[in-house]
Amino acid sequence: MTSTLKGVTLKGSAELVADFFSFGINSILYQRGIYPPETFTKASHYDMSLHITTDAKLKNYLTNVVSQLKEWLFECTVQKLVLVITCLETNEVLERWQFDIECDKSAKESSAPREKSLKTIQDEIRSVIRQITATVTFLPLLETPCAFDLLVYTDKDLVVPEKWEESGPQIIDQSEEVRLRSFTTSIHKVDSMVAYKRTNSV
Amino acid sequence: MAEGGDVDWELSKENIQPLRRGRDISALRQALSQREEGPTSAINQQKQMFESELRTYDGDDPLSVWDRYIKWTEQTFPQGGKEGNLATLLERAVTRFTDEKMYHNDPRYVELWIKFAENCPEPLDTYRYMQAQGIGVRQASFYIAWSEEYENQGSYQKADHVYQEAFNNLAEPHDRLLQFHRALQARVSRQVFLKLENESSDEEPKQPERVSLADLKHRGKKKAIAPVNRTGTAIKNITRGLQSSGAPVLSNAANRQLVVFDENKAEAAGPSEATLESWLAPPPSKAKENEQKPGKWCDMKMPQKTKFGHSVMAPPPPKPTFQPFVEETDQPPTMTPCKINPAVNSVLSARKPSKEETPLKRLQEHHQQHKEAEAGKLQERSMYCKELLLSGATEFCFEELRAEHSFKKLAQGSQEEGGEGCHASAAAAAAAAAI
Repeated sequence: MTSTLKGVTLKGSAELVADFFSFGINSILYQRGIYPPETFTKASHYDMSLHITTDAKLKNYLTNVVSQLKEWLFECTVQKLVLVITCLETNEVLERWQFDIECDKSAKESSAPREKSLKTIQDEIRSVIRQITATVTFLPLLETPCAFDLLVYTDKDLVVPEKWEESGPQIIDQSEEVRLRSFTTSIHKVDSMVAYKRTNSV
Repeated sequence: MAEGGDVDWELSKENIQPLRRGRDISALRQALSQREEGPTSAINQQKQMFESELRTYDGDDPLSVWDRYIKWTEQTFPQGGKEGNLATLLERAVTRFTDEKMYHNDPRYVELWIKFAENCPEPLDTYRYMQAQGIGVRQASFYIAWSEEYENQGSYQKADHVYQEAFNNLAEPHDRLLQFHRALQARVSRQVFLKLENESSDEEPKQPERVSLADLKHRGKKKAIAPVNRTGTAIKNITRGLQSSGAPVLSNAANRQLVVFDENKAEAAGPSEATLESWLAPPPSKAKENEQKPGKWCDMKMPQKTKFGHSVMAPPPPKPTFQPFVEETDQPPTMTPCKINPAVNSVLSARKPSKEETPLKRLQEHHQQHKEAEAGKLQERSMYCKELLLSGATEFCFEELRAEHSFKKLAQGSQEEGGEGCHASAAAAAAAAAI
């Protein structure tokens, strides 16, 4: 992969970002208790221990999404990935994790690898995932059983693949938004943000 | 990108107590960036505002001030701890309205009680007290918190009982109650299922095994012969002597189940849980030590002082039976004209638990005083507004109260007279002087 090349190609970058989403989504699902904690197993990645689901169905779903995402990342047609957490009973949106993706489309033309070491990128990714973990300090407790949904914002002219459907933005009204760290592979830049229901205080 | 603000909360994430309702991120950032001390800081000013509002509020919803004050405190002091004084505030707020029937099923008041209970060492006691007092008995949130506490302590049956009670009392909102009850049942059944799975995997290797040091049943009538088959029924079940570790082994070998006391079953057989204990006062919010509360002075005994400034305890303990080692070269202090045993001053005795001032006791007294006052046999009455001076987390002095009142009048005056500001302030100043 890219580590031997000391640079990042478009393909490598797409893979890195897709990997990040796979681990990031897993950690959000674990941290926010969307799935029971015993269905997760620890895995070591980015020099830190992460929780990966063992639920076969969920795994399958995530692999599908991530591989599709990788394709879009490679084509530079994806703009946003949003993880929406909704209450199972009322379908109310409680949390919204938004990852804005900026693609440098010039990388599609020139295939020359960009100068950025894998280590720096991984460091950046690590700090984003750390911050996701740290958000429990201010996020409200999810009291009810919740479901999650993944939304992907792509360029307009894209053909909607099978198994995907168009969806609304699922915005939370009266939300509190917190920007998290961002990372860049110098081809794809990912900004993270979490929005949650505003507390009704003061 | 506002990296600076982000780093702030991440760096002190260990010092931020998570709240059930989540935190207001702007308040959090403000709280973390404002570390200045002193009475002029914005936080202290705001606190003072709440304190004075507690005292001067004369609308018909005094709880609202407490509610806002406590929520503000939660958000502003993310570390919790002493400086926020949350525990005291909760205790005061909760005590203040115990007798106000109109608040008993107010969701805000019940929420305060639940927060108070979570601060207590024994939340269950507090919940039982609430039930006995009729606080929150129509509120779903009360039963949910209570049931969660039972669940945390592992008594699932009681947790379920609480929901039954809630349904009997027609607690509102019903949907929420149903939802949480279903969630509880799902969790419990999942746990039971997991346990069953574990057990079934344990049971597989249950071949008859020989047990060491077990008594065998002998065969033959005249001569005792040891049986060939030495497992299962061949083992005597008589226990004799000290059988602390032997007994379980034996019964295990005989495939007999140990009778384990099950509190849940005993519960079902015994009297129903609905019997209310007669609580005199809410249970203590925490076991406090080394804290003295203001009390009566008339029956206090001041420690006597000698002319050397040593305070002497009233009953001097007997001399120590051993001879303290004194170095030969050590000169005895020349200035000991009085016969004071030097050991007396440093003697410590264990604190008597009965004398400890717990919040429970305080609340009990408060409650009784109130009742006595109602019965009309209260002998002491403070002829000043003691309630106002001591109501919040801090104490006010008369001048502060007076200032609050005059400021209020000033504000009112200027509102009424509009543009004629000069005139109004003069009138208000006269009013202030008249107080």
